[in-house]
Amino acid sequence: MSEKVLLVDDEKEFLEIMSERMEARGMQVTTATTASQALSIIEEKSFDAIVMDFQMPGMDGMEALKTIKSKKPELQIILLTGYATVEKTVEAMKVGATDFLEKPADIEALSEKIKKAKAEKMLIVEKQTEDKIKDILQRHGG
Amino acid sequence: MAKNKDMLTDIGIQFFSQMSASATHEIKNALAIINENAGLLGDLSMMPQNEHSLTPKRANDIAQKVAKHVQRADLVLKKLNWLSHSADQVTQIEDLEEIVCFVLDLTSRLVEQQGVIIEVTPPESPVIVDTNIFYLENMIWKAIEAACSVVAGEKKIIISFGNDVTIPSIWFSMSTIKDDLKNNSMEDMFGSKEVFALLAYLGISIEKNIENNSFGLLWPKRI
Repeated sequence: MSEKVLLVDDEKEFLEIMSERMEARGMQVTTATTASQALSIIEEKSFDAIVMDFQMPGMDGMEALKTIKSKKPELQIILLTGYATVEKTVEAMKVGATDFLEKPADIEALSEKIKKAKAEKMLIVEKQTEDKIKDILQRHGG
Repeated sequence: MAKNKDMLTDIGIQFFSQMSASATHEIKNALAIINENAGLLGDLSMMPQNEHSLTPKRANDIAQKVAKHVQRADLVLKKLNWLSHSADQVTQIEDLEEIVCFVLDLTSRLVEQQGVIIEVTPPESPVIVDTNIFYLENMIWKAIEAACSVVAGEKKIIISFGNDVTIPSIWFSMSTIKDDLKNNSMEDMFGSKEVFALLAYLGISIEKNIENNSFGLLWPKRI
């Protein structure tokens, strides 16, 4: 099954070319040019991974990362950035980023990270389902 | 005195670092687009001959996009180079409006990220200053940052120049100021001792006009 990816970047041309190349690799790509647009999209659709620029006008990557993780903790977020300091990287990973990739990114490396993110998300969802079933069984005297 | 010099060095390095970080980020963005276009050419050349194949028109479109982003990166490098050369001489005679426009051009990405719009009203006649251009650019950026931090409403700032030729001045007028910041002092607005060391070095004073939501950088006498 193809990976469902939300690509977020304020550079429209980057979004166009990246989505074309990712779709050519069998992924289903949705794009957003701002973090707030991305937040509305994740309310409506489900994704295996979000690939997001770290520095954007308005809400920046770190703020967006915190908001997405608080709303949907199972979502896997790969951050793309022009330059990231070690400090920022550590902070983002602590907040819940799945991975980091520096621009210009290698599409094959990005595809690999997306596949890993999808597998990670599936594990989290499976665990959540298992916990729910256990909880139901306990409450109903199983 | 030595302490003031240290503060000037600190604020100067901080300014140059901030501008370099912003410029290199933008260059990286341009390189990322160039990289993806090169990758797309590679992808298309590997595809079997069908309606998605590489046509001469498509190849030309990709070439134009690459050229556009090479030009974009070059422009950013030119601005960074200009900034570096502004520290070549201790003092230089320059047109104040040109310096303001250069700083705005250099910092446009940082200002845009805050959703602020800045417009410049040119002076009636050229305003010439003889000063340390690098530190003046630094001070203008500090004033823009201060204006951006207090502007509210439609988030518009107008930069204009005083008409008194004996007292060169730059004015920053905000569309609206955040209510809780209206009564703040200049110290609160600029927030650091380094900025005041910068003002002292350049011989500039600040004047605040609460009624029309503005503040100005003024040279006490023509320099």
